[in-house]
Amino acid sequence: MTRVNPSHLLIELEHVLESDPLIDEVGFVHPSQFLVLNGDQPQTKNISEMPSGSDANASGNFWNRDHKLGISIGVLLPLYNAAKQAFMEAVERYKKELKEEYGEDSVSASFFNSLDCLENDVMKHSRALLLLSSDFGTAWNSRKQIVSKKQQLAMFVDELHLSKLILSYSPKSERAWSHRRWAIKIISRKFVNLQEIVEEESELVKGLAERSKMNYRAWNHRCWLVSYMSRGQILHELRKSKDWAGLNVADSSCFHYRARLLLWLLDHVGNCNQDANFGVELYLVWKEELNWVEGLIKRYIGREALWLHRRFLSVCWINHFATLSLNAPGQDIDKSLLTHDTDIFISNELQLFQSCTVIPDNNFEDYKAQATYAATYIMWLMKQVPEFPKVEASKLNILLKELCPEKSTIWDGLISLCGNI
Amino acid sequence: MGELVVEKHTKYIVTVEKSKDSFESVVMEHLRLNGAYWGLTTLDIMGKLDVVDQDEVVSWIMQCQHESGGFGGNIGHDPHLLYTLSAIQVLGLFNKTDVLDIDKVANYIAGLQNADGSFNGDIWGEVDTRFSYIAICSLALLRRLDKINVEKAVEYIVSCKNVDGGFGCTPGAESHAGQIFCCVGALAITGSLDRVDKDLLGWWLCERQLKSGGLNGRPEKLADVCYSWWVLSSLIMIDRVHWIDKDKLIKFILDCQDKEKGGISDRPDDAVDVFHTYFGVAGLSLLEYPGLKPVDPAYALPVDVVNRIFFSK
Ligand SMILES: [Zn+2]
Repeated sequence: MTRVNPSHLLIELEHVLESDPLIDEVGFVHPSQFLVLNGDQPQTKNISEMPSGSDANASGNFWNRDHKLGISIGVLLPLYNAAKQAFMEAVERYKKELKEEYGEDSVSASFFNSLDCLENDVMKHSRALLLLSSDFGTAWNSRKQIVSKKQQLAMFVDELHLSKLILSYSPKSERAWSHRRWAIKIISRKFVNLQEIVEEESELVKGLAERSKMNYRAWNHRCWLVSYMSRGQILHELRKSKDWAGLNVADSSCFHYRARLLLWLLDHVGNCNQDANFGVELYLVWKEELNWVEGLIKRYIGREALWLHRRFLSVCWINHFATLSLNAPGQDIDKSLLTHDTDIFISNELQLFQSCTVIPDNNFEDYKAQATYAATYIMWLMKQVPEFPKVEASKLNILLKELCPEKSTIWDGLISLCGNI
Repeated sequence: MGELVVEKHTKYIVTVEKSKDSFESVVMEHLRLNGAYWGLTTLDIMGKLDVVDQDEVVSWIMQCQHESGGFGGNIGHDPHLLYTLSAIQVLGLFNKTDVLDIDKVANYIAGLQNADGSFNGDIWGEVDTRFSYIAICSLALLRRLDKINVEKAVEYIVSCKNVDGGFGCTPGAESHAGQIFCCVGALAITGSLDRVDKDLLGWWLCERQLKSGGLNGRPEKLADVCYSWWVLSSLIMIDRVHWIDKDKLIKFILDCQDKEKGGISDRPDDAVDVFHTYFGVAGLSLLEYPGLKPVDPAYALPVDVVNRIFFSK
């Protein structure tokens, strides 16, 4: 590779970012892929053809089309070093200037000019640096400092855009997510209602979760939004995330998100006296969720996430609805719903367990996993639900040791929690 | 079963610290203080701390401290609780906590507590139970727990407990082994373990062990050496470690070693790093692997270091 001047690389990158502010995706690309990318569609611009008049663009280390940016992995190290140095110098000058000038009695016009200049530099270099090192906290912080000083909606929105861009290549970046929440909190306090943002954020997480499975930070962001949602939005989110969950049955983060939404409804059903139907509605939502998960369990054999979601649904069902139907005679609940009492529920779960312990000859491993999850599901209910009969714990122990002798230690430990053996 | 290649790991830790020739290594420089904690604690557990120049490390650490009392991840980087704990821990390893202005550091940490008992990571306001652990662990090591409202801190952590018995980063967040370690560790240090449903949490934790013997950090995830630490230390603190198969876990960790160049990876045949090398060795120590110093599961430091801190005058 030809040696390039690192500071020219940085200028080039910053030029690309400035000339295409709508870039929404960035990736690190092997030099050989540049030929492919360019050969793809020879007429569209690669950076060297951009109308800048500067030779700095001719290095062929960047690729930009349709608001996508590619950076050659061959230049990452010198580019990072240049960006870091430029940023650290700018932020140091900026902080020094702030300290010195505010210490004096009169603040001159030239101070504001030079401060504006320094702020621009910090914003420009921190953006380039964060594209290369997404968890560089000091760079995010310097942006927070400048943006909070200006208090302009457009600038906060720009921060959301930058954070989204960085999440496009680094979807687990802790700092990018937390910067996002910081900006959203201020936007909602000062400018618009957060409920308007919720929808957009939810879509963002959905998109990222598609490419980055079981991403704790992404789903945590969506969970964080829940406390800002209205009841209508909660129900809407429940409907919306259902199809995705059905297609991604191993993503237990998505099922936790559903559990979070359902718990929100459960927490709010009590203090909603003006709306008696809410209780009935939630009862039906819960029942539907139980049926839906049972269907998924039977279709997708041996998925831990589904069984864990069922544990959650079942224990809440017993604690809140099986008793609700008895304790709330004044409520206008259809009599047919009352048939779903604890006894019927328990016998249904035992039946589900039985049906899942049948192991056909093919697909041996998946069915063994299924039977194992079914057995631990029943044991878990025996521990967590006082009404649940302490059925044949010793038989469950034998079954588990047959299915998965590798985990005998665990089975002995767990069975000791399930009442008398 | 292979053995722990102590000499190779020692060499790996010493050389990896010096390498600045790849993007992957320089791009971690913002958390170099965490890296120092991982590397140096590993060396101490293996009885090899004397291979490093103490004075050089201590003087570098002190250059990472700010006016506020907090530490940045490296020189010139903004302060954050994440690096402040590492600074205190590394100084503890060297028996050098007396170079600190204890009250200044303690005031920085205490100043980040919120009215609901939770902690911000820095002045910008992100809240996480990890920061609760860091604040409590740091202040305990500095013997300044009286500077915060411990009762409220405990209440906040308890409010992050889930139906499955685990804990997440904020109330309602998904259970995660790393967060569970933080919550259980903080509750252990403050003498509040009675607030944990030990059987239920122990259940969730021991279900993290997979057939390979390795542990994962959440359902449906692959086994990963770092969870040997988080899951295992939590199980020890709640007295349920006999529910997992220790021998198989030892074998899993040893299989993740690079036996030629040293270092431990997240799972067999992956690339090694200091982070997983630390969690592998610390995990082996918790499993009473021969030749290693015992580690305290709550403070994440060798037991002799913790004793020295608490029993010195
Ligand atoms: Zn790991």
